[in-house]
Amino acid sequence: MAYNKFDTPGKGVLIDLSKCVGCGSCSLACKMWNDLKFDDKFPDQGPDAKLSDKNWTAVRFHAVEKDGQPVFRFVKNQCLHCQQPACESACFSRAFQRTESGATIYYPHLCVGCRYCMLACPFNVPKFQWDQTFPLVTKCQMCFGRIEKGEAPACVGVCPTNVMTFGDRDELLALARKTIESDDKYVKHIYGEHEAGGTNWLYISDVPFEQLGFRTDVTTRPIPEYSHEFLKYTPPVIVAWGGLLSGMYIYTKRRNKIAKEEKKDMSV
Amino acid sequence: MDKQKAREKEVTRRNFLKMMGTLGLVGATATLAGCSKEPAGGGGWLPQQYQVASSWPTQVRGRVPLDPFSPSLTRDDEKCILCGQCVEVCQKVQSVFGYYQLPIKDNIVCVNCGQCALWCPTAAITERDEVQKVIEALEDPDKFVVVQTAPATRVALGEEFGLPAGSWVQGQQVAALKQMGFDRVFDTNFTADLTILEEGTELINRITGKETGRPLPQFTSCSPGWIKFCEYYYPYLIPNLSTCKSPQQMFGALVKTYYAKQNNIDPKNIVSVSIMPCTAKKFEAARPEMNDAGQYWNSEEEIRDVDIVLTTRELARLIKHYGIDLAALPEEEYDPMMGEGSGAGLIFGATGGVMEAAVRTAYFVLTNQPAPEVLFNLTPVRGLEGVKEASLEIPGTGTLRIAVVHGLGNARPVLEAVRRGESPYHFIEFMCCPGGCVSGGGQPRTSLPPSDEVREARIASLYQKDASYKLRESHENKEVIELYETFLDHPISELAYKLLHTKYTDRGDNFVAKKLS
Repeated sequence: MAYNKFDTPGKGVLIDLSKCVGCGSCSLACKMWNDLKFDDKFPDQGPDAKLSDKNWTAVRFHAVEKDGQPVFRFVKNQCLHCQQPACESACFSRAFQRTESGATIYYPHLCVGCRYCMLACPFNVPKFQWDQTFPLVTKCQMCFGRIEKGEAPACVGVCPTNVMTFGDRDELLALARKTIESDDKYVKHIYGEHEAGGTNWLYISDVPFEQLGFRTDVTTRPIPEYSHEFLKYTPPVIVAWGGLLSGMYIYTKRRNKIAKEEKKDMSV
Repeated sequence: MDKQKAREKEVTRRNFLKMMGTLGLVGATATLAGCSKEPAGGGGWLPQQYQVASSWPTQVRGRVPLDPFSPSLTRDDEKCILCGQCVEVCQKVQSVFGYYQLPIKDNIVCVNCGQCALWCPTAAITERDEVQKVIEALEDPDKFVVVQTAPATRVALGEEFGLPAGSWVQGQQVAALKQMGFDRVFDTNFTADLTILEEGTELINRITGKETGRPLPQFTSCSPGWIKFCEYYYPYLIPNLSTCKSPQQMFGALVKTYYAKQNNIDPKNIVSVSIMPCTAKKFEAARPEMNDAGQYWNSEEEIRDVDIVLTTRELARLIKHYGIDLAALPEEEYDPMMGEGSGAGLIFGATGGVMEAAVRTAYFVLTNQPAPEVLFNLTPVRGLEGVKEASLEIPGTGTLRIAVVHGLGNARPVLEAVRRGESPYHFIEFMCCPGGCVSGGGQPRTSLPPSDEVREARIASLYQKDASYKLRESHENKEVIELYETFLDHPISELAYKLLHTKYTDRGDNFVAKKLS
């Protein structure tokens, strides 16, 4: 049985990749709102764009073929805010917490820097501040403060071509389904509907997702379920282990006592 | 050794406990004071228009996409504040952004006009800087560096040095260029006059039916932003475009053929620089077909007609780099042979100027009589109205109907009328930028967003100078007459066609144009 923390799937964003013109407003808005630095080595836009500790979102340029014709597509990457986040389940210090709104957010004061979250994430999203003396893990926070006030995440609000729609995940899924079914150009798949057990950020596209750098081999089973399979035995193992060790202790102590007494008798 | 022993002695139990206690206190204070329990992110800022409920649309938002390989424009993300002004001008004034269907094909649709750069309040969008290239050319003793200055730069450059809008700095501009070490300083007005002769002849040929397959109305072709717009959105009207190159490109082709030949200079050593009010001129100079001088000399090495294009703002930076005080310079004259320009050539810088210049010469060519006084102050085509029109009675020929359009948004209804065959005009002047070249994308950012007040001041300066000139008709330019006598023979001669005319590219396949209601 999957572990569901909240009854509602929360808020999310639907990204229609066919509407993106590659202006990069979203990645800049992310930097402005979150006060992130610019880094020449890791561009947040263009063919080499990638997520980094300073790029919580990045718009990567892809020159691909569609119907035998070369086409340009731009893919905005950021944390997909899983319904059952692997990072949250991997974090024993509770630095990652999924909220009722659907955002998985990170508390720096709780982080111990183990980076298990980075290993756990199937989308390779959390990044480490390698160049800091006291480094933290970083990732998109879905502009948690903004959505609490009823505003859209910064990237969504600035998009001049309405690539992104912010709303309840259920409604976004319905909208996505309606859009791809009513228009032949779209690939009949909503990325994020089932990936990693479902994510709150969803994508639709007119070019197959694997050509745009998406991992299409992601399991549809929530990642925490895998660890839950064996971690659910932790309490009995601890109790049993404690019992075993205590027993051994008592047994050994008793043996030593008897041996001592026997020695005493012999010396008499 | 003794000292070490002495120090070891100092670490008493008391001292150790004191040290640990202090560290603990410091740690506790740091934790309480500096370690926030807030989640990460959200420590920055966004413009006011984005602080709205998620279901409300933001009216002014985002920014235009820019081709990272654009020869004209670049953007510095560290300066961009997402104010949305670039989208505003590109979409609402120029009707480029948003006038194509999504998804995009394989092109970032941009006419390189640079109006976004002119509207950008932080100068995040700006021209692709080529100042360094010019400095390197000037410092190379083997290079013969020539420069041409467009009509509109002389009424705007002064603003970069604190002078009022529209200040006339032609002489100072020439003096500054000479002081910086340019070998020759020429005037684009010379080829503006030449354009009138070529384009005027072409128009007459179209009207009289000599140019078969070339329909009326004829569209002007001086503005490279307008040309790219036509190639993108109205490729089926390309036959209406005049085949004349823009004055900049005519100049480039001539300086490496005519001037090089007459003065015995190896064209390969000539570096041809132009000072333009326009960012699209950088794109125009980089068009692959603009190497007619190379074709003329059958050169295997590529010879570009124009090597480097600087905007007015870049010229100002260059002048400041050399520490020259522009306003304090004595006025100097352009160099001869390609330095003479008429008042007709000068007013090319203003909307309606090409048309006014053309009719002065057309009247003379068609009637063989001097143009009447009204053609030297053709008020219907002057001013900042989006679409202006006039009709002229030309004795022996009939009525010539003309129109003047500036700002690409204003061009659409006129072009639609032409497409439907409902246009009554013979000749239409199109200028990409509102106000014409005086308010080109490479001009000083004297008001933000650009204001009609500044445009009017610059335009008034041009017309005032035209009125004060003795030479006010292109066909009377002695250097142009000499050019035809010694080199080109006559307008639209075989050589003139080779060097001064061009072909256009259908860019309609690069995207699907949005259907407009």
